[in-house]
Amino acid sequence: MTFDRARITEQLGQAASWEAKNRLLVQIARELPALDDADRDDAHRVHGCESGVWMSLDWRDDRLTLRLDSDSRVVRGLLVLVLAAFHGRSADDILSVDFAGWLAQLGLARFLTSSRANGLKAIVDRVRDAASRHLADRPARYC
Amino acid sequence: MSPPVPLSPAFDVAALREQFPLLCAQPALVYLDNAATTHKPRAVLDAERRFYETSNANVHRSVHRLAHAATDAFENARSTIARFLNAHDAREIVFTRGTTEAINLVAQSWGRSQLHAGDEIILTMLEHHANIVPWQMLAAERGLTLRVVELQPDGSLDLAQFRQLMGSRTRLLAVTALSNAIGTRPPLREMIDTAHRHGARVLVDAAQAMAHDIIDVQDLDADFLVFSGHKVFGPTGIGALWARGDLLAGMPPWQGGGEMIERVSFSGTTYQAPPYRFEAGTPPMAQAVGLAAALDWLGALDRPALAAYEDMLRATLEHGLAALPGVRVVGTAPGKGPLVSAAFEQAHPFDVAQFLDARDIAVRVGTHCAQPLMETLQLPGTLRISLCAYNTVTEVEALLSALADTLEWLQ
Ligand SMILES: Cc1ncc(COP(=O)(O)O)c(C=O)c1O
Repeated sequence: MTFDRARITEQLGQAASWEAKNRLLVQIARELPALDDADRDDAHRVHGCESGVWMSLDWRDDRLTLRLDSDSRVVRGLLVLVLAAFHGRSADDILSVDFAGWLAQLGLARFLTSSRANGLKAIVDRVRDAASRHLADRPARYC
Repeated sequence: MSPPVPLSPAFDVAALREQFPLLCAQPALVYLDNAATTHKPRAVLDAERRFYETSNANVHRSVHRLAHAATDAFENARSTIARFLNAHDAREIVFTRGTTEAINLVAQSWGRSQLHAGDEIILTMLEHHANIVPWQMLAAERGLTLRVVELQPDGSLDLAQFRQLMGSRTRLLAVTALSNAIGTRPPLREMIDTAHRHGARVLVDAAQAMAHDIIDVQDLDADFLVFSGHKVFGPTGIGALWARGDLLAGMPPWQGGGEMIERVSFSGTTYQAPPYRFEAGTPPMAQAVGLAAALDWLGALDRPALAAYEDMLRATLEHGLAALPGVRVVGTAPGKGPLVSAAFEQAHPFDVAQFLDARDIAVRVGTHCAQPLMETLQLPGTLRISLCAYNTVTEVEALLSALADTLEWLQ
């Protein structure tokens, strides 16, 4: 599962209006595989969103495996952006990503300010916290 | 359903809209989220500005001329609110930050002093979290039992079940006058009579009703009534509790500080009479003046004509929604308020609202701070279209056409 940040940036950059950007998000959402019903449970739910949002994350070989889903198609489109930014990357990389800056570049900054409704900020904060914790838990390697 | 009959133009909405600076400055905006908060007419903005420009000082404290002017303005605002609600006496009005704080005041002051383990409070399935959580907190502290009036399929309350819930341990009925989620107006008079016959008190949450209904607390015969200024064309940060004078007189203070005391010494403190006993600290003075201006403004309109106009808008909207495939109106109780909740077969309400926003149409999605209600209806949430005095048929038509487009391509 890889998402092409350059392509997303180009497509969304070309969508001039807010409506066009929303339409593109719905299209991009089709690329997002649905979570199994078993993972769409309360334990994985991100609370405080006006749509259902579920997330699970774990580390394989120090790289983040991120799985996300929502019952809103616009939010699923946003989740593709989150995956494009963070999935499969190392904790150090994750902490260096300027996600808000990227959204602003795409003309989607509004989704972060209204994020109590869409859960985007809660998800990004959780990813960052997980990355910080992962770095802290990793035994320091001294020579 | 036959189409609603357009009214004769008894109600001049164009002239009314001109009084709202935000609506004038943003003519393309279609604002249909009035249950969340309404916009403010110029009269309200002017009143607040005038207070700061001519009368600003702290109330009730100093002897200087300006302090008198401020105190007069603040106490006149209290009298205006009392008049608007047809309260017996201005001292029955306690200023609060809004509905939420007013309910917490009643729970913390009246509830903690009057209710005991085993006592029961009746709420309804329609309540906003603001009229649930303060009672849950009190119930947990005091060992009270909460009982809930259930819904009929159309979203009206099950009154037979309500009567069964009433018993010798029932001490309070806390009920909304107009549901912010599905628009139901419970039959308040009848419910209040029933509660009183069982010796229970009644708190009415008028947060939504204030902008639409004529509220007369003596006629209603409730015991407590609460509302927020910002939902009735007034400022944020101000609202009020009306409580019957004899009840208020027996209620202990709930917050301590300045303004609410008669005499303070370290061996003991005596408290002011109501309403000051419940208004600790410097109150939101300019906001109180703004709220009074809002009620004066609303009170000067032809209220029955306004109510008929709002109901015509609601009927036009529901008629249009019925013609759209895959749309269901949630809550069809007779006599409902000008607020329509919709659910969609194919689309998530959040996505629909997102596309409406792209056309500058403002609606609300979600559970509307009424999660127990949404769970009962087995809905993840709805899209809520809430109307008020300044909305127009053109706006309702713009919404319906944008909704038709959106649903077609979101399929
Ligand atoms: C019926 C009802 N009760 C209470 C409230 C809470 O009002 P406030 O947030 O102004 O205190 C609201 C606001 O949405 C409401 O609609």
